Amino acid sequence: MDVSSASVIAAALAIGLASLGPGIGQGNASASAVEGIARQPEAEGKIRGTLLLTLAFMESLTIYGLVIALVLLFANPFVK
Amino acid sequence: MPLDIEMLNFLDSPNFVSLAALEVGQHFYWHIGSLKVHGQVFLATWFVMSVLIVASLLATRNIQQIPKGMQNLMEYAMDFIRELTRNQIGEKEYRPWVPFIGTLFLFIFVCNWSGALIPWKLIHLPEGELAAPTNDINTTVALSLLVSIAYFYAGFKKKGLGYFAKYVQPTPILLPIAVLEDFTKPLSLSFRLFGNILADELVVGVLVLLVPLFVPLPVMLLGLFTSAIQALVFATLAGAYIHEALEGHGDEHEEEHA
Amino acid sequence: MFDFDATLPLMAVQFILLMVVLNAILFKPLTKVIEDRSTLISNSQTGAKEGLEQVNAITQQYEKALIDSRRQYQSIIAKAQAEAQKTASEKIAAAQAEAVAARETATRELAAQKISAMAELEKQVDSLSQEIVNKLLVGV
Repeated sequence: MDVSSASVIAAALAIGLASLGPGIGQGNASASAVEGIARQPEAEGKIRGTLLLTLAFMESLTIYGLVIALVLLFANPFVK
Repeated sequence: MPLDIEMLNFLDSPNFVSLAALEVGQHFYWHIGSLKVHGQVFLATWFVMSVLIVASLLATRNIQQIPKGMQNLMEYAMDFIRELTRNQIGEKEYRPWVPFIGTLFLFIFVCNWSGALIPWKLIHLPEGELAAPTNDINTTVALSLLVSIAYFYAGFKKKGLGYFAKYVQPTPILLPIAVLEDFTKPLSLSFRLFGNILADELVVGVLVLLVPLFVPLPVMLLGLFTSAIQALVFATLAGAYIHEALEGHGDEHEEEHA
Repeated sequence: MFDFDATLPLMAVQFILLMVVLNAILFKPLTKVIEDRSTLISNSQTGAKEGLEQVNAITQQYEKALIDSRRQYQSIIAKAQAEAQKTASEKIAAAQAEAVAARETATRELAAQKISAMAELEKQVDSLSQEIVNKLLVGV
């Protein structure tokens, strides 16, 4: 396997694996937020704002994986 | 970058009608003396800055006690920024930081939305293409390094050299981690913004390549949403880091970080 | 993609310039107008509060005056009622006395007439009996 094809596989793995953990985390966070809204409907605005912010933080973990994938595809340092 | 060309050739293969093309890592270089700069980033940045300055001038040209039109809009933004800064830095010390955090927020927000809303592709450059300035790693690294400088400045101004006490405060064993944090903070800030904006544009670009009409619209809306949230996240984190530097390491956990 | 060059420091400089410009033309004036407005609002709020207090004091004064005047008119009514009662009872007493007096004179007159009538009757009885006696004696 030459470096180019290995890079393509690695890019796919990077984005796929990087989305696993944040996916679970986002699910947990959303579930807790829905529970919180159900328990305290008057706090919905505050919960929603905080949820969006934390979801963005988790999303950025996937984005790091995506950045690595993009580096492997478009700016691979090992392909001359 | 042969792989780069290869990918582009694959995406531009004659099976697709060539309505759009993805260009990553190609730049419209300007040469200033012996320096090379990315011209398309500067063009887009100047556009964003002129939008902000014109909006500000319109808002404050004729200030009234009862706001109207542009003044109302900018006062809404101003209220939002002051609230954000106060929530992060605290009632006592937030005032001097409002311009910094506010400019960060407004600049990133307008950059992101300009990339999503303005059909830059209609303007042809000799090389590379116009896009949001925040999808260039140089811009985001510049902004996050400024945030680093800002929180170091805040800490030194408040405590002098005693600022370094926070590195060994609970226990000196954590010193490497504390030092490492100073590097990961700008790294994560810049990569988060860069990655999100670039990912938005790439997803929209790929969808436009596959199905040029209507299908990319929901993704574009999602992109607008993400762009706004990323501007908010960047400004919030900048505020949180400055607050941390002002407060010291010990009592940071008692404060709420939104 | 990760090609750092002179764009980075130039962007930083541009951002700082933008911050200075925006601070001068956006943040300072807007902060000033927002804070002016909030002091204006709090001032007028305290003014309104003072006005409310004044109104409350005036209302209390007015209510006190109202209670006073109510008490006054009640006492006036009571006095008038008492006076009227007194006059009425006096008049009733006078009328009763008059009526009693009238009845007594009437009774007395009646008694006198009765006596005179009796005397007359007796006289007539006497004369009649005299006549009867005379006639009988004449017949005998």
